[in-house]
Amino acid sequence: MKAVIEARDLVRTFDADEAPVRAVDQVDLIVEEGETVSVMGPSGCGKSTLLHLLGGLERPDAGEILIDGSRVDGLSETDWAILRRRSIGFVFQAFNLVDELTALENVELPALLLGEPRGQARRKALELLERLRVAERAGHLPDRLSGGERQRVAVARALINEPLVVMADEPTGNLDSRATGDILGLFAELRDARQTLLLVTHDARVASVADRLLTMRDGAVVGQTKLDAGTPIERVLAGLVDLGDTA
Amino acid sequence: MIASARISGRLASRNLRRWPGPALLLLLTLTIATGTLGLGLSVYGSADAAWDRAWTATDGFHVAFNVYHPPDEAGNDAFVQKMERRGRELVGADGVVAVGGPWTHLYGSIDVAGGLEDLTAEIRPPGRYAVDQPLVTNGRWLRPGEDGVVLEGGLAATLGVEAGDTVTIQGEPFPVLGVATTVSRGRFPLARPAQVWVTPQTAERMRGLGMTVEGFELQLRLRDPNDAAAFVAAHRPAFRTDPHSSAIAFLETWEERRADSHSDIDTVAGTLLAAGILIAILTIATAAVLVAGRMSERIRQVGTLKAVGVTPRQIVLALLLEYGAVALVATAVGIGIGLLLAPAIANTSVTILGTPQPRLSWTQVAIVGGVALLVLLIGTVRPAFRGVRRSTVSSLASGARPPRRPGQLSRWASRVGLPIPTVLGLRSSWRRPGRLVTNAAGLTFGVAMIVVALALRDSLNLLNTAASEPGHTASDAAVGVLYDQIRAIVVGTALLLVALGSINAFIVASFAARDGARSQAAIRAVGGTPRQTVISLIVSQLGACALALVLGIPLGLGLWTLMEGGDLPETGVSVLALLLVAVIVPLVFAAVVSVPARRLANRPVAPLLSYE
Repeated sequence: MKAVIEARDLVRTFDADEAPVRAVDQVDLIVEEGETVSVMGPSGCGKSTLLHLLGGLERPDAGEILIDGSRVDGLSETDWAILRRRSIGFVFQAFNLVDELTALENVELPALLLGEPRGQARRKALELLERLRVAERAGHLPDRLSGGERQRVAVARALINEPLVVMADEPTGNLDSRATGDILGLFAELRDARQTLLLVTHDARVASVADRLLTMRDGAVVGQTKLDAGTPIERVLAGLVDLGDTA
Repeated sequence: MIASARISGRLASRNLRRWPGPALLLLLTLTIATGTLGLGLSVYGSADAAWDRAWTATDGFHVAFNVYHPPDEAGNDAFVQKMERRGRELVGADGVVAVGGPWTHLYGSIDVAGGLEDLTAEIRPPGRYAVDQPLVTNGRWLRPGEDGVVLEGGLAATLGVEAGDTVTIQGEPFPVLGVATTVSRGRFPLARPAQVWVTPQTAERMRGLGMTVEGFELQLRLRDPNDAAAFVAAHRPAFRTDPHSSAIAFLETWEERRADSHSDIDTVAGTLLAAGILIAILTIATAAVLVAGRMSERIRQVGTLKAVGVTPRQIVLALLLEYGAVALVATAVGIGIGLLLAPAIANTSVTILGTPQPRLSWTQVAIVGGVALLVLLIGTVRPAFRGVRRSTVSSLASGARPPRRPGQLSRWASRVGLPIPTVLGLRSSWRRPGRLVTNAAGLTFGVAMIVVALALRDSLNLLNTAASEPGHTASDAAVGVLYDQIRAIVVGTALLLVALGSINAFIVASFAARDGARSQAAIRAVGGTPRQTVISLIVSQLGACALALVLGIPLGLGLWTLMEGGDLPETGVSVLALLLVAVIVPLVFAAVVSVPARRLANRPVAPLLSYE
């Protein structure tokens, strides 16, 4: 299998009032093509920071990041932006849709940034909104959408350029249980379609979608568990507790 | 009551310390406005004060009766005789306590700076006069049997002569007996014609050289100088002039003469006052922009205060104290600066009598202070009252409101295929229409003043290249100096307004960058480059600049149309110059706005995404 994401000795330290805090502490990680990986851990363990580092939203203090085999940790902000539009789709807990753009325009934005003709980008965006069952809300601004609808739009936006990897940071954190179920279904579909997925979550139901579960504590990856399709949540939770249960 | 005021005072002081940057910026712009207003008012007052001193020292007239007639026009003799009768009636009128004249005026010419200037020689028998005893500043007054002239102070200064020198009148030399100051005539060269005093004996010699009688002046002092206007109103109908003759006769009060006596300083002071008012208006925009940027924080603060039991009255009092303190400091500093600079400006006047003594009455101080407070209240009171009126819960929940509907312009921009950063910028520009309008208002004045300055430059260039009319050489040169001063003030004000407009634009752009940080970060997260986000932020702010150009250029041309009457040559602003304004202003604006945009674009994406 080909590694889509590879991290070596990744370190990120934040200044705090009393002493610097190592949010990510010498993390090594490989995500292979078509694989779905969940990262779980308690609040403040560094899982979101790890995702931000891997997506170029934050700069590491040390270590190496390779995307599709190429070293990217030294890229400029502009080069990271170009890499993201080509290869990485992001889904955030707070949706982070552009307030001034309609749902449809939010989805087509990455395609337009990539240089696709406007008509083609719009057609692809509409198809995705149809697929994610939110097409009837295409002309509305984010403020007029429910949380679940916003997250569907965000997933569509993440998928429009058929990225190498979709990175999701607590994708159900702001959703009610029904919307959470919908989004989980979506991620399961993506996993089955062998879309490479990296999910950061503290929700065992979301984590259970993955092929592999990584657990983090105090900035370090402290264990991993291989999950089979239909792994019960209890097993996922057990994986969190039994840090020695490695694949 | 005292406890309530103490709580309000403490809140006001805390707010000033909590947001010192905006308070200082507000103080700075307001001080520039109050300083300019104070300067204008004190310069204005300095000329009046100097005139009053000379008026008292010379036993100046309360009412003057003037008769002028062209020497070569038929029928003047009958008119003059009629007016002389009227004059005798005035001398016997109720309230008149002293009379000067009538003094006959001869018309001729005098050599000044290689050219000829119109000259009036006022014939005075030697001695002392009950009204208008010119104050001799050099040499001596007219003496019996002595040939020569006493020069009006401004004429002597222009010629650079003193007692013992000679001047050339009607081509012949006349000895200068002395130099004197009077309020009965303005100072040469801005007041024309030039004036000398001569004895009847010297006047005869001048007549022999071709000088002719052009009229006379009768000067009256009343029991009470404050009755002058009523006296003139009562007697003016008797002096209606003949519509078929160009001869004129009129009554004038000492206040009217004083108002006309220092046209140059009045023009400079008037320009300064206009500049001060424009800057004050711009300060309203600055205050509104600063307050708008902290609107939600302010409203939340008011909500919190209400929640813990502070009454709406205490909150309003705290706000009044907060802004009142800024207005008070701005007034004090501004007036101090104005009084300090006023003598330097007043000293450049060629019409002022003696040493200027700038002063401000308490009423004028109150006007400046009132303007400062009004500016702040207009610009800042809205959020305070919004917070007070809202329910406590909704005030506490106040935050930036996301847009509900995409604007038509941005829909159109998207359809016609404009670049993505432009479309994004257009979308954002309509998110805060209030800020856009406030920003545009500030810039509009700057643009208008640039247009006025350009027109003034062209007009003055025309004035400088035009040949002076015979008899106007020295006065045209003095007018040129005056216009140079006005041009300096107008250009300075334009630059100041543009600078303040740029500061406003920077503040608005900074707030826009802050408000749009999350959206900008979201765009970067899905592949937008920092450059694209910078362009989008600049485009979002350019609407204000475009609006300012659309409004400011016609406003400037309109203001110029009002100004160019009078002595200024009529001229328009060239299309090329206007095009340059339309290109350079947006470029400067974009450069200013790009600073906060770049600062935002250089920050990592992740912290901005979590920004609320």
